[in-house]
Amino acid sequence: MAQIELRSLTKSYKTGKVLKGVSLVAEQGEIVCVFGPSGVGKTVLLRLIAGVEELDAGAIFLEGRDVTDAPPETRGVGIAFQNFALFPHMTAFDNIGSALTAHGASASIIKAKVEKVAALLKITHVLSHLPRALSNGQKQRTALARALAADPKIVLLDDPLRNVDAKLRYEMRLELPSLLRASGATVLYVTQDYKEAMAIGDRIAVLVDGRFEQIAAPPAIYRGPASVSVARLFGDPSINLIPIKPKATKDGAVCEIGGATVSLAEIHAATPGRSLLLGLRPESLNVSDQQAPDSFPVEVMAVTPLNEKTVLLLRTHDGQEIFASEAGVENETRQPGPAFARFDATRALVFDEASGARIEGRA
Amino acid sequence: MEHTSPFERIIRGVLIAAVLLFFLFPILWIFLMSFQTNEQVLRIPPSLFFSPTTINYTSLVTGKLQTAAGSLDLAFMRNLGNSVLLSSVSVALALVLGVPAAYAFARFKFPLSEDIAFTLLSFRFAPPLLVLLPLSLYFQAIGLDDTYIGLIWVYQLIALPLILWIVRGYFEDISPDIEYAYRIAGHSWLQTFTRIAIPLARPGIAAAGLLAFIFCWNNFVFALILASADKQPVTVGALAFVTASGIQYGQIAAAIVLSVTPTLALALFAQRYLVEGLSLGAVKG
Amino acid sequence: MTDIAVPARRRRVQLLPYLLSLPALLVCIGILVPFVTAAYYSLLRFRLNMPAMKGFIWFGNYQAFLTDSEFWNTVRVSLLYTALTVGVELVLGLGIAMLLQKQTRLNNLVSILLLLPLMTAPALAALMWKLMTNPNFGVLSYLVQLMGVHDFKWASSPNSALFTVVLVDVWVYTPFIMILLLAGLRSLPKQPFEAAALDGVPRRFVFFRITLPMLTPYIITASLFRLLDSIQQFDIIYPMTQGGPGNTLLVFQVRAYLEFYQYTNVGRSTALLMILWAITYALSNLFIKQWLKLRERARGLA
Repeated sequence: MAQIELRSLTKSYKTGKVLKGVSLVAEQGEIVCVFGPSGVGKTVLLRLIAGVEELDAGAIFLEGRDVTDAPPETRGVGIAFQNFALFPHMTAFDNIGSALTAHGASASIIKAKVEKVAALLKITHVLSHLPRALSNGQKQRTALARALAADPKIVLLDDPLRNVDAKLRYEMRLELPSLLRASGATVLYVTQDYKEAMAIGDRIAVLVDGRFEQIAAPPAIYRGPASVSVARLFGDPSINLIPIKPKATKDGAVCEIGGATVSLAEIHAATPGRSLLLGLRPESLNVSDQQAPDSFPVEVMAVTPLNEKTVLLLRTHDGQEIFASEAGVENETRQPGPAFARFDATRALVFDEASGARIEGRA
Repeated sequence: MEHTSPFERIIRGVLIAAVLLFFLFPILWIFLMSFQTNEQVLRIPPSLFFSPTTINYTSLVTGKLQTAAGSLDLAFMRNLGNSVLLSSVSVALALVLGVPAAYAFARFKFPLSEDIAFTLLSFRFAPPLLVLLPLSLYFQAIGLDDTYIGLIWVYQLIALPLILWIVRGYFEDISPDIEYAYRIAGHSWLQTFTRIAIPLARPGIAAAGLLAFIFCWNNFVFALILASADKQPVTVGALAFVTASGIQYGQIAAAIVLSVTPTLALALFAQRYLVEGLSLGAVKG
Repeated sequence: MTDIAVPARRRRVQLLPYLLSLPALLVCIGILVPFVTAAYYSLLRFRLNMPAMKGFIWFGNYQAFLTDSEFWNTVRVSLLYTALTVGVELVLGLGIAMLLQKQTRLNNLVSILLLLPLMTAPALAALMWKLMTNPNFGVLSYLVQLMGVHDFKWASSPNSALFTVVLVDVWVYTPFIMILLLAGLRSLPKQPFEAAALDGVPRRFVFFRITLPMLTPYIITASLFRLLDSIQQFDIIYPMTQGGPGNTLLVFQVRAYLEFYQYTNVGRSTALLMILWAITYALSNLFIKQWLKLRERARGLA
């Protein structure tokens, strides 16, 4: 049975329509990351599910029950807000216990449950503190503990790592998946960091322009984004998009980049002259001093060694700037100047320029 | 940052002393006067040094004044009791009515909400007699004339706008997410209101309540028009007292001291919130 | 992904906010009724002692005011009283606020002590000053005599009555302006003043070009607040002089009160109050705009 089922949710504000028909089915124990650029309505979606905002149209089913019109206190979800939203006048213990007091649990049960979840999140030593005496990291763990304390079947997490420092965020990214899986709950996890989404989610639901543009497992989304907009959201530096028009030759499909002729996957021979976007991930570009078959000439404009990779800024002969990245920073011979770039035609992504949809053309 | 010359410091000191003298001397003088017999009061030149007597206070408290002409009844303690009753019940009622309304205006944007809130605010600025004079005729007609209930009702004009607008600001300062978090955890709206919203707005509610109490206590014109002698608070009662007792200056001073002490004490207690309250939340102290 | 067509839902009617604000509203509506009545009375010939003469005369009461020198006296005295009190209180309040601007323990103590007159009921303050200016034993009467001024009758003489009540008003309400401006002064950003001090800008220039302009919203709010109260003055003048001697201090509300109770002329009394209401209504609209701006700002700072 689906734990969370959203049917064509729409929601608009005075400023415009935020959600234009969002549908999703999440199974028991699954972690679904709702990912998208900021301001796209991810938080609104969580608020609709939690019942603190009213939807315009659509239906929400939680644990198989239609809760579209149910008040928030009857929905039985656990939630952690981005700004933590701890109760300032209650200790961390009472904050965490608040979900249990609502259902009239006895003091000893509350104590046991709070202490259990506090131990999991390593905040046992600050349980008697008021929120203002907690560090940001402790606040964030308290908020998470509060969301999980009552063993809810459904947990909603609104960018819980947004307001914590980089080190803690890194640690939590490693800890959270096992923690959430241990709880057995179905989790909707909102984030605007694609790496976080890929590290934590069983599936990622990409929210673009008021709809889920794609819902799939992380590697599938990275390797096969449904559209240009999804492809753009994953990867750093983001994907290079080069406008091309394929031609059919006797050797198969080709196109022209910066004056050079480059082979494409066979399928594009069928639609010569169609305006396409060639999507090249920076790491799939191979830059070399030597000309080779299917390479195109570029100018290396800048070389930026980052910690685990080197990013190259290239310019093609028709003036387009693209990024390439190479593993490691050891290649100190890399200098600005003329070079040749090559890519594996079977791994290149090709999109229809007009609709933005990806054309299945890979090997 | 500021370098002050000794000369400037002396000038500042003198000015501050002058300001304190002007604003505090009247209170001090009346306070001293309240411990003097009529003979001491009438002494020329007036003196700061005298042997204090508590006769004025004892005669106010016992309600009996022994004069050469015989025993005189004083109703002043009754006025003091009226002030306590009217002010505290009015504020209690205004809190019961005003705090939920303040919450509604802070949390919900419902049709007409702003219009209603501003109408309530405008009561603070309308000429009180405009309402009071016709109201006195109505009260006579429906029997609310000269009753505590009628007075307490009218006192809402003072207390409600104050409580509404100050407490509203405090409710608006609470992040809605905090309340949502409590509701999602399984608590009803009412539980959230009483266990989250009210405790978090408590400083504002306390400040508004104290201020409303002070303003109710200090009000003069409402009771002047709507209350007869046995329902009058101290502000009106003291005036009647002056007319009735004529030359009992020591008692008048003692009556004034008793009448202003509660508000002055409360003001010192609440001074942290006074700026905010006096400006109806427009200026934070 | 299939989009199932789901019909738009009917919005839940939000009853709660109305339920919460309704009691407060009902209590106030009860008090709004007399306001409408007052407007109606002001169009009547209505004297309590001559009920038989009661009749609708449209704007007769208002028209009569035009040629009534007593009415114009009321207008003049009210405006004069308002201008004098607000003017003096503004200058004094600003001066004291600047004197106490620095956050020292002494200054904070002084600013708290200055609240005491403001928290004294104006009616009782009037009595206090009445005692202090008593010709037989009043300490102020004694002091002016020491200074060689004899026959100074304070509130009992038409020449000094206005001065006396303005003095009491200043005593009570200057702290109000002072405390608002002090809060304003202390909330001003420090950088412009530090920059001016570094550049050796003369103090007078700093005051007129930096302090005053930045303080203007507070000054306007405080002044409008006081204007609104002062034009409706009753609590000090009535206990002190009942509007006398003669017609010296017959401001709007005192005169309306006397018209009602002394001459039992309800029509005239309410017409007078309607005019006062029109003035305060215009002022309060101005005020609320200023007040909202300042409120937004205070909330932004918090």
